[in-house]
Amino acid sequence: MFRTKTRSIVILVLVAMLTGALGVSAQDGSVTFMSTQFNIVEESDKIRTILADFGEVEFVPSEEGPMIDLLRAEAETGEGSVDLIGALHGTFPVLQNEDVLFDLSDLLAQLEESYELPESFVELGKLGTADYQYYIPWMQATYIMAAHVSALEYLPEGADINALTWEQFAEWAKNIYDGTGEAQLGLPVAGLFHRFLEGYLYPSFTGGMVTGFKSPEAVAMWEWFRDELWPYVHPQSVTSYEFMQEPLLAGEVILAFDHTARLINAFNDKPDEFVGFPAPTGPAGLGFMPVVVGLGVPYTSADPDGAEALIDFLLQPETQGRVLQDLAFFPVVGGVDTADLPEGVAIEAAAVEAQAASPDALPALLPVGLGDRGGEINEIYRNAFSRIVLNGEDIQTVLDDEGAALQSLLDETGAPCWPPDAPSEGACQLQ
Amino acid sequence: MNKKKWNLAPYLLILPSFIYLAVFFAWPMVRSLQLAFVRDSQILPVLAEADPDADVVGRLEMQTQVAVVDRTRLDEVLPNGRTRPVYWFKIVGETEGGEQIEGWTHQKNVFIESRTTSETARVTSGEGAKEWTLDYVERMVNDYRFTNALKTTLILIVLILPIQFVLAIVMALVLQAQLRGSTIFLYIYAIPLGISDLAAGLVWVSIFTQRGFLNTFLQQVGIINEPFIYLSADHENWMIIAIVLAEVWRATSIVMVIVVSGLQAIPREYLEAGELFGASLWQRLRHIILPLLKPSLQVALILRTILAFQVFAVVVAITGGRVLTVLAYETYRWYDPGDSGFNNPNMAAAYAGFIMLISLAFAVFYLRTVRTQEEAARE
Repeated sequence: MFRTKTRSIVILVLVAMLTGALGVSAQDGSVTFMSTQFNIVEESDKIRTILADFGEVEFVPSEEGPMIDLLRAEAETGEGSVDLIGALHGTFPVLQNEDVLFDLSDLLAQLEESYELPESFVELGKLGTADYQYYIPWMQATYIMAAHVSALEYLPEGADINALTWEQFAEWAKNIYDGTGEAQLGLPVAGLFHRFLEGYLYPSFTGGMVTGFKSPEAVAMWEWFRDELWPYVHPQSVTSYEFMQEPLLAGEVILAFDHTARLINAFNDKPDEFVGFPAPTGPAGLGFMPVVVGLGVPYTSADPDGAEALIDFLLQPETQGRVLQDLAFFPVVGGVDTADLPEGVAIEAAAVEAQAASPDALPALLPVGLGDRGGEINEIYRNAFSRIVLNGEDIQTVLDDEGAALQSLLDETGAPCWPPDAPSEGACQLQ
Repeated sequence: MNKKKWNLAPYLLILPSFIYLAVFFAWPMVRSLQLAFVRDSQILPVLAEADPDADVVGRLEMQTQVAVVDRTRLDEVLPNGRTRPVYWFKIVGETEGGEQIEGWTHQKNVFIESRTTSETARVTSGEGAKEWTLDYVERMVNDYRFTNALKTTLILIVLILPIQFVLAIVMALVLQAQLRGSTIFLYIYAIPLGISDLAAGLVWVSIFTQRGFLNTFLQQVGIINEPFIYLSADHENWMIIAIVLAEVWRATSIVMVIVVSGLQAIPREYLEAGELFGASLWQRLRHIILPLLKPSLQVALILRTILAFQVFAVVVAITGGRVLTVLAYETYRWYDPGDSGFNNPNMAAAYAGFIMLISLAFAVFYLRTVRTQEEAARE
């Protein structure tokens, strides 16, 4: 307790010093909007330009940890400087646990009169409760595939790029290797690669993210990954590839998987040379991971009315369209004009839509309910990968080991199963 | 019985530095060690009434499923003018010992599907309860990356230190020889000192990466046709070589500075006497310079070893911290609240404590061995 408290206070002071305007702005009628998204300088500038149309908004980019600590500290003093927060879905369970957010159910009802919000995302914003709206969905992103046009000639015969199976995908990577003599499939192992395992491979092969962790299907999947796909993955994937757009543009890889925001430069810089396409399908379906960013209002907000008005502004189709255009995050409301998008964004938008609209689509959500131990689950998947694929350890042994770690993490946090796994009573249990 | 009068003055004189050490070193160190051995678990005190000051009727463990038998709603008026409903729940649950507890708790401490209608809830927070534990240390030692990190750290120390010391002594002797333009050498040697270790790591990444300087050079000279991929999971040795080069390039000058100051402390008479008796350069180095340098070498050795246990940014830049990892990176990984870390300060403290322990062991080892040799040489 002492630790978190002092840490919170130190961070509160630091943040207050660094964003000096905070204290002042709270009084002059502007709305303070703290967000874990768009905290790269160019992105912050773009979102500030968009927000300028709303009126006085103080946009404060922040990392997740400091934001949580700040809100925790503000809740303890009872008065706060942050009016609105924007964060990934995965950040909200921690805030739920701290009990720092307003119930936005009434606001949601109002908003739904003017905008259509996807039911699944609204449900996500309740964080497992029946009637407490912790956040309003703001925007979404996901992970897709990208290929250089020169890779297309190696596509396996009869394969449709928009409806590939993982088998065909591996064959494609192999053809490229055979044809060019180089492994040119890139996976962001130094970046968000755990999402590839959690949200794409596992659901596609086992139908779930967690429950089938050490199932026979999972063993077959790892065997396939190790023997059929990994030999054709660019060796620098493990050490250097964090954002796939750079190796794509540099020509080191011609086929890649990554987050839309980490591919966008490739599509924007050379729209004629790159194609985007949905993730392949496995025996259990097309597993993919939508990333939802939500908006919440801390009850310590000095200006909750302003915050709610700003949420309304952010959900307007025009605003959502501009965010898509300038920042490549996809809208959550219908009716967004996608007519003249920049070419790169249009390429991604098509792939994202094809992915979500696939008849076999199996949306896999970010881990829910692990609280501040969310990072550990990623490491379990990554460890399994390192041990099986890089070190060549026995698959079942590794899955049993890491599965035990996963089970104890679920038990200790009491996290119930989340989609695409079937819901559970109490903590989620591995098969 | 003329007892020596007790003199306060020396104690007063060392008091400031004592306070400084206690506040800025000893206290944080104790706190951080404490983190490694104390678990911040939580336990929920169940209250007799719906009031934070009410008596505690019993305590429930985290994640206990409880029945909700009654609830009450208060409206809290917030400073921003809004009201916020605050629920208190009367819950019934069983402690680990099997004791039935019935009492009130605040909405903040339980997860409940619906505050207005649900009849069950789960305990999710409470008040801090500290307990001593060896769990973190155990988990660290059993961690799959721990042995990997320890091994790599030790390999790096074994490879880097000898190279650095030989180079540093040579560089120091070059400076000491006072050749024409030797100050230029000093400036050249000192350049890497001004570069941060992360930047140094990045410099070497741009040399070793697939389309990097090294491959481009080798291709243009015609030694290789296809770029060779050095930094990959299949070539751990190349990554070690890159790290060793980066570290040697970056940190040798620190050793050199210490050696130079040691050299300047050696009286010229000894060297002149050696020369007079016809000692060759090698003999002078072996029998006069090195023995007299021992105290400075000892300092440099301790400093470099401790720093080598903390090597971090260079390794992260070159390997991404996944295939090869070092102890300091594991410490950071456990602490890091971001996307690639685990946000677990306790484990981080266990790693930090371990690094301190082995650094301490090495320092004691150096102090003992190097000193006895020195004394033996004197006899």
